[in-house]
Amino acid sequence: MALRELSSLEKYLGLKKPNKYSTQADKKIPVLQNNNGPPLVGLVTIACHLVKEAKRPNLLGDSAESRAVVHQWLEYRVTKLDGCTKEDIKTILKDLNLYLQDKVYMAGNQFTLADPFMYYGIHPLIVDLAIQDKEQYVNVTRWFDHIQHYPGIRHHLPPVVVPRNRLYTSKHH
Amino acid sequence: MTKEEVQGATEEEQQAQSKKGLKKQQKEAEKAAKKAEKQAKLAAEQQSTEEDDFAKDRYGVSAMVQSQQKLDRVLVRVQDLTPENADQLIWLRARVHTSRAKGKQCFLVLRQQQFNVQALVAVGDRASKQMVKFAANITKESIVDVEALVRKVEQKIESCSQQDVELHIERIFVISQAEPRLPLQLEDAVRPDGEGEEEGRATVNQDTKLDNRVIDLRTTTSQAIFRLQSGVCQLFRDTLTKKGFVEIQTPKIISAASEGGANVFTVSYFKTSAYLAQSPQLYKQMCICADFDKVFCVGPVFRAEDSNTHRHLTEFVGLDIEMAFSYHYHEVIDSITDTMVQIFKGLRDNFQTEIQTVNKQYPSEPFKFLEPTLRLEYTEALAMLHEAGVEMGDEDDLSTPNEKLLGRLVKEKYDTDFYVLDKYPLAVRPFYTMPDPNNPKYSNSYDMFMRGEEILSGAQRVHDAQMLTDRAIHHQIDLEKIKAYIDSFRYGAPPHGGGGIGLERVCMLYLGLHNVRQTSMFPRDPKRLTP
Repeated sequence: MALRELSSLEKYLGLKKPNKYSTQADKKIPVLQNNNGPPLVGLVTIACHLVKEAKRPNLLGDSAESRAVVHQWLEYRVTKLDGCTKEDIKTILKDLNLYLQDKVYMAGNQFTLADPFMYYGIHPLIVDLAIQDKEQYVNVTRWFDHIQHYPGIRHHLPPVVVPRNRLYTSKHH
Repeated sequence: MTKEEVQGATEEEQQAQSKKGLKKQQKEAEKAAKKAEKQAKLAAEQQSTEEDDFAKDRYGVSAMVQSQQKLDRVLVRVQDLTPENADQLIWLRARVHTSRAKGKQCFLVLRQQQFNVQALVAVGDRASKQMVKFAANITKESIVDVEALVRKVEQKIESCSQQDVELHIERIFVISQAEPRLPLQLEDAVRPDGEGEEEGRATVNQDTKLDNRVIDLRTTTSQAIFRLQSGVCQLFRDTLTKKGFVEIQTPKIISAASEGGANVFTVSYFKTSAYLAQSPQLYKQMCICADFDKVFCVGPVFRAEDSNTHRHLTEFVGLDIEMAFSYHYHEVIDSITDTMVQIFKGLRDNFQTEIQTVNKQYPSEPFKFLEPTLRLEYTEALAMLHEAGVEMGDEDDLSTPNEKLLGRLVKEKYDTDFYVLDKYPLAVRPFYTMPDPNNPKYSNSYDMFMRGEEILSGAQRVHDAQMLTDRAIHHQIDLEKIKAYIDSFRYGAPPHGGGGIGLERVCMLYLGLHNVRQTSMFPRDPKRLTP
């Protein structure tokens, strides 16, 4: 899963030569063997490295504050989102919904690495959501639909249908 | 201790004892004196109450009505009390909804079905203190006969249905006393769920209501629901009779399961056993073959389905239709949808009070329908579902969540809560369904939905004995068990079709309620056999 993500990321970043990855331990942590230096271990580390390689450092954030925010969400993805339980899903979606109320992208008004990262991570949760829930977490759905249609992001994941119209308008279904 | 000391000690003890004894005696004497005083006081009071009670014969508990006499007295209905009756002296019989003493007055709310009116007993030249006390102590739900003056009020009494008048009681008699401890309070049973949580007041849960159904049915909401249900039955009969249908009665004890062996109740029938009818299907059709042309029947349907859901009962009332048609089964669909629309219109025009009463406790959107009724084909519905991201095969049956989602999509697109889905896949319909003439995968069958839930399943029936036999064999049904049924098509049978609806489900969905037990007077489900 992580490897497919990294190759999609490479395609988005426009990196010509795809890297060879291997995995470590049962959690399948990706490892990138570098020619010069020790191997890079971990999804976040490798992703940041790729971004630097592609000379797109703005994807990690323009200011110190936005860089911190981007890193926060990269961490969130790997620690909270991957391997979360069913009970956590509701809380995660509720928190995200509240957070995304006034933001276009994860880091505010600019597209950063946090967006595709969170998109890849949250995709399995959104795929299983019923339409009523999608309407309930309207901000998450809006952001998700935006990112999945962003040019060059959605490579290996199936599109999730988001109905345009409100189906559950009244409180009492 | 020395002897003297012991003696001294004993003397002391004795003295102490006698001191204690004295004290004790004193105390007892005081107690006795107090008691005597109290008794004397009570006796004096009682005497005084008996003496002072000039209103003694204007109140009390009546002797049980055993038809001892024919009184020429007219009892007025609470719903008829308006300012027009002001200053009239009237009699009425109602239940005591609440009674509250306040100093020299007692306020009562008297209730009759959905209507209630405020009444008051005040100490004056007509009523004594004892009478007011008696009124305040009448238990809730007791039935009373009251003679009172109707008085106009300047300020509207918001909490009662009769807001412009008040009764000033001259005489009050208890006809039937209720036990003081009610299993549930009517105010709690009518309270909306949300309000209960917010204000921390009690609501009554469904099981308690169903266990004490007699009291629960007295609430304004229940009265409204079942009056509306009665209206549905009435409109069904009237509409169909006007269309030339004949009402029939079909047997409920039958020899073979009509819809399939799984969900049927078995009864012992003398030396053998029989089944309770799962639907009047077979008999409706036999009536068509017997030249009744257009028939309907209203009767119980028994399904031994171990489903504990919000919409399944083991016994419910089925409203079934069957009719012969000329050339196309859409004639049947049109007839059924027109009947449903007449029912919806009748409810909308004549039962608004009841609908509003139910909405007070269970808020919902008003029921919307189109004229002519919307009819979608199964393939269209599949396309709509695919567009919304649902994966389904062409010949799959609709699952309940998909039905509900489809209902939402249809509501959003066409703005209707009632529609017909036509041309279901043949594989998911019963053996007597007529297959589509052009596409063997589909059938001439249809379902009708209200608020996204199925209320009617119907089809054109196979009216040829040979084809019926083939279809039965294909469905692996024992031909012996349905021999009489197949035989009825051997001697000339017209093309025909029909369908059946569940009365309780239609009422539940029309009113926007969420559990079919609310619209069944004494519901039956796998866990409930009484009351």
